[in-house]
Amino acid sequence: MMMDVHYATFPYLTSLLLCCGVGLLAILLTPAGRTGVIKWISAVFSGLTLVIAIYLYVAYDQSAGGFQFAERVAWIPELGISYFNAADGFGLPMLLLTGIVFFTAVLTMWELEYRVKEFFALIFLLVSGVFGLFMSMDLFFIFVWFDVSLFPMYLLIAIWGSTRKEYGAMKLTLYLLAGSALILPAIIYLVVSASLQTFDLPTLMQADLLTPHQQRLAFLMLYIGFGILAGVFPFHTWSPVGHVAAPTAVSMIHAGVLMKIGAFGVLRVGIFLCPQGWHYWAQLMAVLATCGIIYGALVGLRQTDLKYVIGYSSVSHMGIVGLGLSTLTLDGVNGAVFQMFAHGIMTALFFSSVGHIYDKTHTKAIADLGGLSRTMPRAATFFIIAALTGIGVPCLASFWGELVVFLSCVRVYPVRGALAIGGLVISALFMLRVVQKTCYGPPMERFADLPDVSLAMTAPRMILVSVIVLFGLVPGWLFDMINTATVELFK
Amino acid sequence: MAWANFIPELSMLTAVAVFLAMACLPPHSRRNYWAALVLSGLSVVLSVTHLSSQGVLFNNAYQVDLYSQLFKALLSIGFFLVVFLCRELKGVALHRHSECYLLLSISTLAMMVLVSSVHLLAIYVALELSGYSLYVLVFLRREERWGLNAGFKYFMVGICASAIMLFGLALIYGATGELVLKDLAQLPSPMMTHAMVVAGVLMTLGGFFFKLAVFPFHFWAPDAYEGAPNQVAAFISTASKVAAVAVLVRVVAAFQGMEAILPKGLIIVAIVSMTVGNLAAIGQKDFKRLMAFSSIAHAGYLLLGILCMSFQGYAGSMFYVAAVLVMKLTCFMVMIKVAQDGRNLQIKELAGLHQRSPLLALALMMALFGLAGIPPTIGFAGKLLIFKAAIDKGYLLLVVIAMINVVISLYYYLQVLKAAYLDSAPEDQPVLTLSFPDRMLAILLVGVIVAVGFYPAPLLELVYAAARGLP
Repeated sequence: MMMDVHYATFPYLTSLLLCCGVGLLAILLTPAGRTGVIKWISAVFSGLTLVIAIYLYVAYDQSAGGFQFAERVAWIPELGISYFNAADGFGLPMLLLTGIVFFTAVLTMWELEYRVKEFFALIFLLVSGVFGLFMSMDLFFIFVWFDVSLFPMYLLIAIWGSTRKEYGAMKLTLYLLAGSALILPAIIYLVVSASLQTFDLPTLMQADLLTPHQQRLAFLMLYIGFGILAGVFPFHTWSPVGHVAAPTAVSMIHAGVLMKIGAFGVLRVGIFLCPQGWHYWAQLMAVLATCGIIYGALVGLRQTDLKYVIGYSSVSHMGIVGLGLSTLTLDGVNGAVFQMFAHGIMTALFFSSVGHIYDKTHTKAIADLGGLSRTMPRAATFFIIAALTGIGVPCLASFWGELVVFLSCVRVYPVRGALAIGGLVISALFMLRVVQKTCYGPPMERFADLPDVSLAMTAPRMILVSVIVLFGLVPGWLFDMINTATVELFK
Repeated sequence: MAWANFIPELSMLTAVAVFLAMACLPPHSRRNYWAALVLSGLSVVLSVTHLSSQGVLFNNAYQVDLYSQLFKALLSIGFFLVVFLCRELKGVALHRHSECYLLLSISTLAMMVLVSSVHLLAIYVALELSGYSLYVLVFLRREERWGLNAGFKYFMVGICASAIMLFGLALIYGATGELVLKDLAQLPSPMMTHAMVVAGVLMTLGGFFFKLAVFPFHFWAPDAYEGAPNQVAAFISTASKVAAVAVLVRVVAAFQGMEAILPKGLIIVAIVSMTVGNLAAIGQKDFKRLMAFSSIAHAGYLLLGILCMSFQGYAGSMFYVAAVLVMKLTCFMVMIKVAQDGRNLQIKELAGLHQRSPLLALALMMALFGLAGIPPTIGFAGKLLIFKAAIDKGYLLLVVIAMINVVISLYYYLQVLKAAYLDSAPEDQPVLTLSFPDRMLAILLVGVIVAVGFYPAPLLELVYAAARGLP
């Protein structure tokens, strides 16, 4: 497999990173007391990244395919490491997703008052890691960005979080770092086994550099290592705990984007470099993914905490991504990447509406809430839209991802596919149950005077809703893009 | 010009002479400090400008090459930074300040001689000279119950290690009749695998293991760190480690012919060191004891590079020890600034550091992430080099074990970070104001940790060039 690399005339991808870097510097140089300035700086620079991401998405030449907007500088020549960025049909949807979630998450935190400067600085650091990972074509940098996007999480959750925040933060950090304990040896092993003295991904993708045995070993390590971050069953237990503990914007970025990093890592490093390992372990992947879908749905059914429900639904939905990747078919991979995008937007909306509810009512217990559709109509509306997206209602983005994955899955693994669809039905059940208990029924009197989402604060949520509807109505815009990369992968 | 090759040592010798003279004058804290700062700064400049010296002195016993000069530069930088932190040397009685500087400079001089020595006896003498100064330095602690206990333990383990090493040297000499490393490197291969030589080499390495605090010679470390004055503990955990790695790499590289045997022993020692160090560090409440156990763990990572017995591995360990120097000194700087009266700092006393001094909290965070090996820090670049060298040699499993250790270590580093960033300070704690030079130093150290971590190429080329020059 050999993909074309088209070099850029202007470093668009680096400027995306620079937006984060300059924004971070600007925040650090602003006095901590000027919270308004800090928030505006964050909004402007995160908005800029979104604009660049949209531009790249539109400007990508789908007929040419391959890696575009590439830029490359030798970094550590002694080891064959270069600063090498490029965008393809897998990377661009993820960059777009990151831009959207980043911008809306910054806007959602507009009312934050506690340690504002540090919060936005850490968010910028985290997101620069995420952007870097989605565009990097060098294994060294992929690993560096991976960790850059993880380590601010500890402080973000432990300082600004809620429910058992220190425990959640520590558990999350140790789990994810345990993942990187497998990824780093696997990456070095791949580089050493290929014996080309390069960390360059497109070069390493050439066929027959690696023996089947090497590919199997490396793929397994990468799958588990990145899979922990993607919430693959049974390594998912950090995820609900971490989501519940995290503050709103961090939950949005974390469930919306960071978990995608895990799946993306499996795809970009595991599947690209070790296709034979992928084929070898596909059965295992399918089994674990099915378990994740059903287990997440069943556990979600019994939760009493609103954020736990979403946390477990994420495990379930990320199982669909894993299932798509395990089918070894073109449609399956397309559906999986589509689902990554759709799920990212959906959970961001979910967490941002729950965030508002929690900020005002100071409770996440489902039993304590009720009749929110009357006391907080806007917050409730966003919550319901997110829940419907999660269920997979047609015309909303997730529908297409789930549909394509399940169609290809039933063809390849009929039994597991049927079971997974059963899991999806359960998850629809618990979503509706939560919606019914929180949004309808008699309104709680003590919440009657609480303010709804203000008009200005509906803006970030409206952006998310419109993206969900847009790609629900015109899924082709996303599928065509993803397909350019998938076709090359299966060539 | 033979003398020109000797300039870093001569500058340090000048410092020794000046401090000796000053020890005879009535005590004056400020004057001692500035003299020490100027002299150590001068030696940094001289060692860095003489990186490219080449030569062999004293009947093949003393080699000046890029390898030795690089380490001399590192040693003088370590010495300079420790002296810089001696501004409030509250852990040592005032009338002993000049002695403290004297012993620090003697120890540094001895280490400089050590990294250039290529004759086993010269190595032994230099090692002892640096060791004895350190024993006395630990005793200098103002509170005698700390100093005596720590110094005694350090001394006892030290002389045991020396005795074992001396016995090893005797075995090597008895079996081969050679003591110059270059001649030993050319021994015929049956000789290399001879039981007596192998035993001799392993015992000789024991002496270096003591310096590096590698299992089973690590028992002194927690107590010596805890009992020593903070600045001395900083010196022991940085400069002393640099010298130990330098001599260890030189000796192991000379016995390249033992490639089939030596790594087997070192693998066990490395794994046990990192695991013991990391597990023991988890429960620690005293910051210096935590640093001591993390030093033991880091010694294990350093050995991982050395046991590859390839120049990539040696270069990796050299890079990593330079990284450890910077990161550990940053931790000690934070400790010394927070515990300004020279007491032992408990981890919980770091509470609220982010309010009392955001800069120190940031420095501590970067240093801890560096020690945990998280990119983009200098510590990650070092670990990457070591791990790559190890996987090159097929030690995949060993690297996975080391990475699991990294995750364990992250737990206790995060505990420290939690104290500094999450816990709020007790009401009566004043804001920590740093002087301008201190602030500059903190920014410089953080800058080095991040910048070299992100762009390690220049330092990497330097250590590669140095490691390629080894026999």
